[in-house]
Order: sequence, then C-alpha cells, then structure tokens
Amino acid sequence: MVDRPLRIVIADDAVLLREGLVRLLTEQGHRVVAAVGDGPSLVEAVLAHDPDVSIVDVRMPPSHTDEGLRAAVTARKARPGTAILVLSQYVEMSYADDLLATGPSVGYLLKDRVAAIDEFLDGLRRVAGGGTVLDPEVVAQLLVRRRARDPLAVLTAREREVLALMAEGQSNTAIARRLVVSEGAVEKHISNIFTKLDLSPDGDSNRRVLAVLTYLRS
Amino acid sequence: MTTTMTVAAPADTTAERGGSSILRQLGVDTAYILVGFPLVVISFVLLVTGLSLGGGLLVTVIGFPILVLTLWIARGFAEVERLRIAPVLRVPRMHPIYKRAPEDAGFWRKMFTPLTDGQLWLDLVHGILIFVPGVATFCIVVTWWATAVGGLTYWAWDWALPHESVNSAGIVVDNRQLPELLGFPDTAFVRITFNLGVGLFFALTLPWVVRGCALVQAWFSRAMLTGVAQLREQITGLQVREQTAQARTAAAASAEAIALRRLERDIHDGPQQRLVRIAVDLGRAQQQLENDPDAARLTVDEALTHTREALDELRTLSRGIAPPILTDRGLPSALAALAARCTVPVELDVPEVGRSNPLAEQTAYFAAAEALTNAAKHSGATRCVVEVREWSGWLAIRVSDNGYGGAHIAKGHGLAGLADRLQACGGQLIVTSPVGGPTEIVAELPWSTVP
Repeated sequence: MVDRPLRIVIADDAVLLREGLVRLLTEQGHRVVAAVGDGPSLVEAVLAHDPDVSIVDVRMPPSHTDEGLRAAVTARKARPGTAILVLSQYVEMSYADDLLATGPSVGYLLKDRVAAIDEFLDGLRRVAGGGTVLDPEVVAQLLVRRRARDPLAVLTAREREVLALMAEGQSNTAIARRLVVSEGAVEKHISNIFTKLDLSPDGDSNRRVLAVLTYLRS
Repeated sequence: MTTTMTVAAPADTTAERGGSSILRQLGVDTAYILVGFPLVVISFVLLVTGLSLGGGLLVTVIGFPILVLTLWIARGFAEVERLRIAPVLRVPRMHPIYKRAPEDAGFWRKMFTPLTDGQLWLDLVHGILIFVPGVATFCIVVTWWATAVGGLTYWAWDWALPHESVNSAGIVVDNRQLPELLGFPDTAFVRITFNLGVGLFFALTLPWVVRGCALVQAWFSRAMLTGVAQLREQITGLQVREQTAQARTAAAASAEAIALRRLERDIHDGPQQRLVRIAVDLGRAQQQLENDPDAARLTVDEALTHTREALDELRTLSRGIAPPILTDRGLPSALAALAARCTVPVELDVPEVGRSNPLAEQTAYFAAAEALTNAAKHSGATRCVVEVREWSGWLAIRVSDNGYGGAHIAKGHGLAGLADRLQACGGQLIVTSPVGGPTEIVAELPWSTVP
C-alpha cells in the first residue's frame, strides 16, 4: 500500500469522465501527469512519465473495441511492472484474464466504482503498491459458473463471502472491516478455505489472490 | 392438375462406377430400347390413325371425340415414356401439369379442354415422331447384341455351318465368308479367331453404343415430354425464392420492430425513471444543505444508489443491443461471459469458431441468450448445456436444459422474436419442448467466416 501522493496517467476518450477523474484525483492530493485519449498515446505517456499507476478505459480510439486493454498489455510489456488500473463500462472475465496474465499490479473495475471514492482510491493505491484488484462483478462471474459437482459447495456461506473478497484482492484487514468481524476470525476462515480447497496457504496477499483466481478459473 | 414435381436428389453417378454398375446400366438401357420398339410401333400406328381419322372427320362432330381420345392415348404413352426415361437419365420422374376443366364445366367445355392443352399435343407429336429414333436405335442395339453374342459363341456352332463349295447335290455354291473374302484361308481356326475378334470388339463397345442409343432416345423424349414442365418448375422455383426473400424481409422488419418497442419500454421503465428520481433527490439535497445537512447527506446517498442502479440497467440494455464482448472477441468469448452471468449453471461445449459478419454473430449470440433466459426464468431447470457446431457454411447452437418444458414459439415475445431474427438472416429456430421437459432449442444459421 502506498500512502504518498501518486503520479498518475489517465487514458480515456470520454472528456467528461477524464476531467472528472483529474479533478477527483487532484482534490485528493495526487498528481495527474498526463491525460490522453487513445491507446498509442497511453503507451507513449507511460514510457515518458513512468507513472506510479495508470488509469485506462477499455474502449478507446482508434479501434473503439478493447483498445485500452491491448495498450495496457503493450505498455506492461514495454515497461514490466508498471501499475495499471483498467476501468470499463463492462467487466468480463475474458478481459480480466488478459490483464492477469501480465502479472501483478493490475486492477480491473467497473467505472461505477469510482463513485465510491474511498474504495476507489484504496484500490488505486493497492494496484500502485503491486496488488491485484478485481471487480466484484468479475468475481461473481467466477463464483456463479460452477458445474454440478461444485467444489465450492463444501464452503460455508461466510467462507464463500471471504473467498469472494479475497478474489477481489482485499487484504485481511479490509475483509474483516467489510464483514464486521475480527481479523482473527478472517484468518480462521481463510485457513479453513485453503484446507477445504486443498490450496497451499501463502503469506503474500497478492500471490494469495492469484492462487484463488487460478483455482476459480480452472 | 396439381401434381407436383418430385424433388429428389439425382442418383449418384460418380460414386459407383465399378464393372457391376456398367453391367446394370447396360441392362437398363437395353431393356429401355428393346421394350421401346413395340411401344413406338403401336403408338405410331394408333396415333397416326387417330389423328388422320379425327382430323378428317372434324367437319362432322364425331371428329372431336376421336381427337380427344387420340390425345388421351398419346398421354398414356407419354406417361409410360416418362416413367421409362427416369432410370436411363438417372433423374427423378417428372410430372408435367395438364390442363383440367373446372369441376362445374359443361360437356363441351370438358370436351374441348384437352384440345387446348399444349402438353397433350406435344405428347401426340412425340408419340408419332419417336417412331424414327425408336426404330433406328432398336436396329443398332439388336445388331450390336447379335454380333457380340454371335461372334463370341461362334466357336460353338461353326461346325453346323456348311463350308464346302460343292453341296451334296453336286452344285457349286459360292459360300464365302468375310475372312475368305479378305484373302485368309478358309479354315476353322481362321473363322473362329476372326469371329471371336469381331465379337470381342462388339462386346466391348456394347455398353457405350447401347448407352448412346438409349440417351439419344431418352433425350428426345425428355425434350418433348418434360421440357415445358421443367421450364415451368424453374419459374415456380424463382417465385418461391422471391417469396422466401419477402418473408425474410418481413421477419427482419418484425423482429426489429419488436426489439425497438422492447428497448423503448425498457429505457422508459428503467434508467429514465432513475434519472428523474436522481434529479428530484439532488434538488431536495440542494435545499436541505442549508437547513439540515444530515438529511442532505442521506438524500445524496440515495441519489448515488439510484445512479449506480441506473448504470447497471443501462449496461444490461446495451448488452441486449450489441454486447461489446461479442464485437471485440467473437462468439465463444461472448458465450462464456453469457454463461458466467446466467443464474443457472451452464455447461459450455463451444469450439473455436471463426469470426462471421455482425448480423450472424449477434443472431447466434441472442439465440443462446434468449434460450438461457427462458431456461432460467420459466423452466425451473437446474442445469443448462450450450453446444455450438460449425459445418460447411452453417452454425448451429443448441441450448438444452433439464427443466419441465412447455416452451413454445407462439407463447412469449421472446422465442417468437428470436424465430423472426433467425429467419431474417436465413436461418431457423427449432424448439423441442414437450410438457414435462426437457427443453431443447436449436438455432441454425448461415455462417460465413471472415478473416
């Protein structure tokens, strides 16, 4: 988690939202070093400014399809480890897969989540700090698609909640706060989950997220 | 007459080309020619007589019924011939359309109707003229068969022929055979070898010669007996195609109209209401800010909630118009996302299919979406399976569930609209859903892959 002000690149072709984001982030003490409107400019801006994190829209010119996503992948190839938070009007698992394949410090959120400002900024800082953040809707997609022989059936309702929050990339503290339980209780749930699903527990929260996601997607 | 053409696939001519099929065809052709001979002779005699008699007696009334009778006889021979040429030409049997007097027509009308039917007169002309090719081909075929069989079996009956140049009565007979005329010595060996050679030549060429004769005669018959009918059939085919195209256009228009109406209603009931509510809430908050900041905070919270829900609804609507993931990544990814959002567990069996044109992709996607929505909402299913298959320019999507069935195209707008959409792009929707289940919905549509 990074607490200092962040240097941020924004890529979104919708001027209205771009300006809104710039205003929001500036008010919160961060610095927007570049605000661009298409894929190639994003790659250039990342290379030129080396930001702490870039906020990227999926649909952008010139192709108006998943341009932002592809630009993000390109940027991360050109500068490995550069943090990218992708915002979109739609979230789909197959887009998330592309991002997750490029390693940690990525995020993928619905644009609506920006309205919950504290959570959004928290997610932004986690991505900048090397974490992985996934939209609850993507996680819901992962949890709903279960076969008749559902291995998740062995989990209790509370354990499923904890699993979903883990998959979103939340820390133990955040999970405890969200579920209004103690951190100790969360740790106990997590160890139960790992035992039931036969996953190896891992201290690093980011690797933990990836382990959970890999499990859910398999 | 409303008899229709038999539409059947023409017999496969390339697949079977072994020796047995040549022999079978030889049998068919020979039978055609040999049986044809008495037929053409009888038909020629009857029809020429009938025509001259009827024509000559036209001045008296009695000529008309004779002519009509002659035409009916011609038609009888024509029907037999149509039946006979089918295996020779390897085409299905043709049924031309004959004129028919209305049921309530008077005696004279009924009497005259055949006289005005072009096909009947063609039958008559055919029944007379077929005599020429019929006799010619018969002669050729009989000659070929006789020479082939005679030559090949000559060794067996050479002894029975007289070979001496002076007969038992002492009279000189100049009994010279072809080899002798060609300068060969008149020995049994030469005669047998020579005749065997000739027989072999005729036997080997027999299938082709007989085939040629049969084809000439059959083509002649076909031109006169079914040519007009074929022409008419082609015209009807064109009309049917035009009607299909019109139906497709109508289906497209209907599908679009239904979709637009639904969209308008959804916008009105959903996001529009929310936005109005948000505007009202924000207006209230503006006033509350001065007197009661706590109440203002609550009101803004509410407005935020409504904003989120409005966005959710808009997203659902956009997905219903043109799902972005379908445009970006194609059908398999879009179906995976669809399955992931479905409230009933969905099993996917979707191979990698290429990208197609947007209309086909959207139609295929919405077929699956509508079927899954139906399954989740109405069927009580606990499990769905989505399968996709692609073959030579077609794509089929099958959505099956384990619910209690009873789905029907006519029932809701959903499946009816879907059927329209599929028809509009040249496909079809097949719904199998007996009461008690299970339901199976299959959508088939043309799928031209684009790079």
